[in-house]
Amino acid sequence: MERPSLATNRPYYEVIRDLLAANIDGGRLPVGTRLITAAVADRLGVSRPPVKRALARLEREGRLRYSRKSGYVVGAARDGVEPVRLNLHALDLDLSGPLSPPSPQATWERIFQTVESDILNCMPFGTYQISEAGLGDHFSVSRTVIRDVLSRMQDRALISKDRSSHWIAGPLSARMLDDAHAVSRLLEPSALSAAIPHLDAAQLSQMRERVRQALDNRTAVSQTTIDFLETDLHTGCLEPVRNRRLADAARLSQLSLVVNRLFGTYIGVHDETEMLMEHRLVLDHVILGDGAGTETALRYHLDADHQRARARLKVLSVFSAPEIAPYLIRVH
Amino acid sequence: MRQRRHRKGEPRLRVVGRSEILPPPIQAQARQDLDVDIDFELIDGIEGLQRAVTRPDSFDVYHQWHTIDLIWTARAVQAIDLDRITHGAEIKAMASVGSGRALATVFDKLFLQKDGKLGHTPSNRISMLPSIHGVDAFGYLRSIREPQDQQSESWGWLLDSRWHGRSAITAHPVLGIIEAALAVEAAEGVVFEDIGNLSIEEIDHVADLLIRKKKIGHFRGTWINYEDAARLMQRGGVVVQSMLWPALTRLKGQGLPVCIATPREGSRGWHADLCISAAADGDVLEAAYAYLNWWHGGWPSACLARQGYYATFPDRVRRHLAPEEWAYWYEGRPAEKPLCDPFGQVCIAPGETREGGAHMERMSTVRVWNTFMDEHTYLVRRWKEFLDA
Repeated sequence: MERPSLATNRPYYEVIRDLLAANIDGGRLPVGTRLITAAVADRLGVSRPPVKRALARLEREGRLRYSRKSGYVVGAARDGVEPVRLNLHALDLDLSGPLSPPSPQATWERIFQTVESDILNCMPFGTYQISEAGLGDHFSVSRTVIRDVLSRMQDRALISKDRSSHWIAGPLSARMLDDAHAVSRLLEPSALSAAIPHLDAAQLSQMRERVRQALDNRTAVSQTTIDFLETDLHTGCLEPVRNRRLADAARLSQLSLVVNRLFGTYIGVHDETEMLMEHRLVLDHVILGDGAGTETALRYHLDADHQRARARLKVLSVFSAPEIAPYLIRVH
Repeated sequence: MRQRRHRKGEPRLRVVGRSEILPPPIQAQARQDLDVDIDFELIDGIEGLQRAVTRPDSFDVYHQWHTIDLIWTARAVQAIDLDRITHGAEIKAMASVGSGRALATVFDKLFLQKDGKLGHTPSNRISMLPSIHGVDAFGYLRSIREPQDQQSESWGWLLDSRWHGRSAITAHPVLGIIEAALAVEAAEGVVFEDIGNLSIEEIDHVADLLIRKKKIGHFRGTWINYEDAARLMQRGGVVVQSMLWPALTRLKGQGLPVCIATPREGSRGWHADLCISAAADGDVLEAAYAYLNWWHGGWPSACLARQGYYATFPDRVRRHLAPEEWAYWYEGRPAEKPLCDPFGQVCIAPGETREGGAHMERMSTVRVWNTFMDEHTYLVRRWKEFLDA
């Protein structure tokens, strides 16, 4: 697996140090400005610990001086400028570079989706222990970030801690599939129906055309094509939904897609005519702008897909060794 | 893609099945009766199913048991054309009569329906050729039951502290969890909602108890196949354990005073059937049909009757059995002569009567059929914890 391309592989405090150094050297942070950790962190939109470390570093480099009374102040002591507390938000700092956009995505968010998909892809096959250290090494991120990611996955009931406090993923039980389906059939139809006014007609007809081609070609449809069609309906169509909470919740309950994709990958794609016909039916309603029809058709599709996923999950349960991410260890 | 390595006129048939279903006498007879070279591969654990599902090109015929929904979902097997089965019509006929209903689990997912799914309504295409079935329970040494002991046999005996260190259970998760659940119900007085489809909490309940019992040394061992089971009782000091019929006939043949219980809680039913690989075609497919027809003809099921198995079509079997064999194994009447097991070793002494009575009487004790439960993945995880404990 490829290493995720994070903004930088260097420690975060170094990124902050570079940024502050550039602003000091360029005069945007005037000599005499007091740099209080909390204020700097707030201005940059980052947490305090890396800022604290960056400030200490800048002091050692001579760009800042430190006094018990004023804390860190821009410039060397010999500059003789009186420390002054400025509103950092009022200063025109250059925050381009690795930190931009100004309100940086938290580090955990950058790796969350990758970790989520790594874990979902192994869960149908058994039980796996997640190595915090292995995760940190794999993504070159700190333990704090790893814990952020894992605790969020725990909130979504994807992983849990065992009696010896190890993080455990899986097995994906039939009940998890049932529970996810129950949520899915409540949320996704209304989310899709809410999206209808915002969906682009040209894109919709392209989606519809892709389904038609797959139906014409039914015996030779690849898993890649299936993935594409599933993304069209279950992700693409939900993108314009204004209510992100609704759209995100709908996405998180799409566990049957994971099972179906793994089945197609490991067992092979068989006749997917039914699934394709269901997709076509949903898209036809969407294209007509028929909200109620869309909801009914999608609910029918989700129910049928759930039954397929349930049967396929049982088949996956007899497999033992799928490809797994290096930070996962098979337990059972 | 399937490798065609068979030369025309010389098909080689690859058959995969469990050891108790394909004992050497059946293998030898098949080779003799059929104009086909056959490679038999015996796989007792879950690996047989793994093979069937993942590599349909590596076998031609699979003796499946309780996995037809899985292997059908995986498209590992092809539909069998009833017109190519010599007495195919009787399969359709049986689906709706009394003994067919008693074996509902055999016929529930037998016929290919118009929508491509499997169902009960007869059609000309079937997912598997029904062959044999039976009912299993635990076995025990007669000596552990005192003459004055009027209590009827119970699955609870497997967990009874009187047999601490002298009890054993099958290591197979599918069979084992059902037997363990029956034992837990009996020992603890609990009732599981559907013992053939346990919930996560119920699986935990059973697994936790098994693990606790194993850690204090209650179980002498676990076994993979019937030969291991026989050895555990013969030399391992086990007095009560999960037991398959071939293990019983073997032990009886060796003179051990052992019997199989007819537990008051009911027994575990099973059936085994023949499937043709999705990849079989041409001459190999012809050979596969020949092999299926040979099974349906009754000789192999008659051979297995001598280790306690029933044919799903008993009329085909009767003519291959001596009257005294039919009377003992199928009718539950006392043996008039010494009776032999499939290997030709005497296992039943004159005067003995089969535990549990006649065929349908015994089948009516089935409380639960072997099955892959909905929570199979979870079950396997907990079962492995038990085996590793």
